[in-house]
Amino acid sequence: MPPVIHADLCKKCCRCAEACQSDVFYGSIPGTVPAVTYPDECWHCNACVMECPAGAVELRIPMNLEPMYQERR
Amino acid sequence: MTLNTVHHESDLLVIGGGIAGLMTAIRAAELGLKVIVADKSNVRYSGAGATGNDHFQCYIPEYHGDDFNAWIEEFQTGQQATIRDIKFIRTWLSRSFEIVKLWDAWGIPMKYDGRWEFAGHGMPGDMLNHLHYAGKHQKRILENEARRRGAVIINRVMCVDLLKEGERVCGAVGISTRDDAVHVFRAGGVALGTGSAIRLYPGCTPSCLFNARLCPNCVGDGRAMAFRAGADMASLEIPVFRCGPVYFARAGKATWGGVLRDPQGTPVGPFVTRPDNRYGDPVVDVYQDIFMDYRDSARGPVYMDCTGLDREGVEYMTHWLENEGNCGILDFFKKEGLDIGSTPVEFRSYDRELSPRGGILYDENARTSLKGLYAAGDEFFGGISCAAVFGWVAGESAAQDIKALGNRPEASEPESLTLELLRAIRGRERDTRHATWQEANCAIQQIMGDYAGIPRSENMLKAGADNLERIARRARATLAAGNPHELARCAEVLNLLEVGALILHAARERRETRAKHIRKDFPFTNPHLNKLLVLRRENGETQVEWRAVRKR
Repeated sequence: MPPVIHADLCKKCCRCAEACQSDVFYGSIPGTVPAVTYPDECWHCNACVMECPAGAVELRIPMNLEPMYQERR
Repeated sequence: MTLNTVHHESDLLVIGGGIAGLMTAIRAAELGLKVIVADKSNVRYSGAGATGNDHFQCYIPEYHGDDFNAWIEEFQTGQQATIRDIKFIRTWLSRSFEIVKLWDAWGIPMKYDGRWEFAGHGMPGDMLNHLHYAGKHQKRILENEARRRGAVIINRVMCVDLLKEGERVCGAVGISTRDDAVHVFRAGGVALGTGSAIRLYPGCTPSCLFNARLCPNCVGDGRAMAFRAGADMASLEIPVFRCGPVYFARAGKATWGGVLRDPQGTPVGPFVTRPDNRYGDPVVDVYQDIFMDYRDSARGPVYMDCTGLDREGVEYMTHWLENEGNCGILDFFKKEGLDIGSTPVEFRSYDRELSPRGGILYDENARTSLKGLYAAGDEFFGGISCAAVFGWVAGESAAQDIKALGNRPEASEPESLTLELLRAIRGRERDTRHATWQEANCAIQQIMGDYAGIPRSENMLKAGADNLERIARRARATLAAGNPHELARCAEVLNLLEVGALILHAARERRETRAKHIRKDFPFTNPHLNKLLVLRRENGETQVEWRAVRKR
């Protein structure tokens, strides 16, 4: 679901907003910390993370999308 | 609401800047055409190849041997046996190595450790034909190659209808996804590379429309446009589904090097008993219902278990998962403090998330049935390499045809019923009297999943077609968009409705069971129907044609 932007690291370049194929950051204005306007439209493709020059973006996988796994046998 | 109009002129308009679209743009531009690429996202990360892929199906003589004919014979009889004409298959695979070498030269690493590395998508003992390549930065590289040759890229514009002069396609109209503007493109021809129709069927987490195995922004835009313009469509009635991690939907099973095991650790298939990155576990390629069967017989769930891969093997697998854009799941396990090499990951079939086997019918020259219209990419099987090869071929065909055109006719006023409808949608108040695109999209998914899923029957398909038509009327009358982004989503919904109706129509016509088109009322495969089912719109009616496929 949502990209998480760490405002303390963000350079406000909005490269993440330009990269996003879903335009999750719709309405973001360069020079400000990007807005995560449509978190429900995130595909978790990682483009925003790849594009950020400051390591300020990470993806949080919401609970209902969490992969399931088996505890070690 | 007033929408400003922006006009564009080019020799070739490419709609969709995915792998296919960018390859078309690169080739057409280097052959001298003035090319515009219109993409509703950003070509740098748009489409199914957004942040990477790792398998490229191809024939490489120094690996497979020099006898292409013998190789293709085996290809045709193996698991890859297809519904496509032999001329198409031959063009695809005979030109695949040419593209591999080009991509390598452009900076997409096609070799691993200095060698051609074939792995995945094969049975032990079978010929392997999927080249492992490092596609993480492929879109940026292809974008740069297109720009270097002079192609103009217009991001955040979604084309909604093709324009025609007589029988010839000569452009498109679109809307900006970021501001209230209409874009009119005039061109000598149009190439469509808009991908599959992903948000048509419910995913494994229906509350999350964008949690899809493949790119959720590919929703059949090109198919809807092409069909409305009168192009032939084929094989829409044959559904395909795949498997992957439970809840976090993601394609790419073949990159996992583990063994599919039951909760007690027993392999569920007969082909591999120890993890092997060369093959992964191919049991689901031949037994797609295995996850459901295990669940329903109290033997599930089924896990992708990489335990037994050595450290080097885990690193090898992780390298390819990263290159295929699967970083989300890798990061999840990392943050959980879990080693993906020793944590069995639960897998399932995405058995409700169907996508049609076919789409816009194009030939071995990437030409469609309409003059001036080309198509490539996820219209049929073949993945990245099919997209890349036929994108390239589309560029060549377009260059040949468009250079031969004389003076183009004077452009008339663009006509687009879709655009008129979108103007009305944008003009409505975004309040609770009106519908959102999300509610329409969910309604479509419910109907497609319940009435055109697996299995099927005439009664259910007929009811589904009627239900979908009612939803379509409701959507046209009540959708509202609060901004240009929402307007583009509404346009996507209109396209999903168009493609959904086509699938229902085609599924009713194929009165037999074939692959996963399972008809309970026709539970047999009819050898006389081993043909392409082609649909086209003529004078407002959907026409049906059965067409033979030459396989030898």
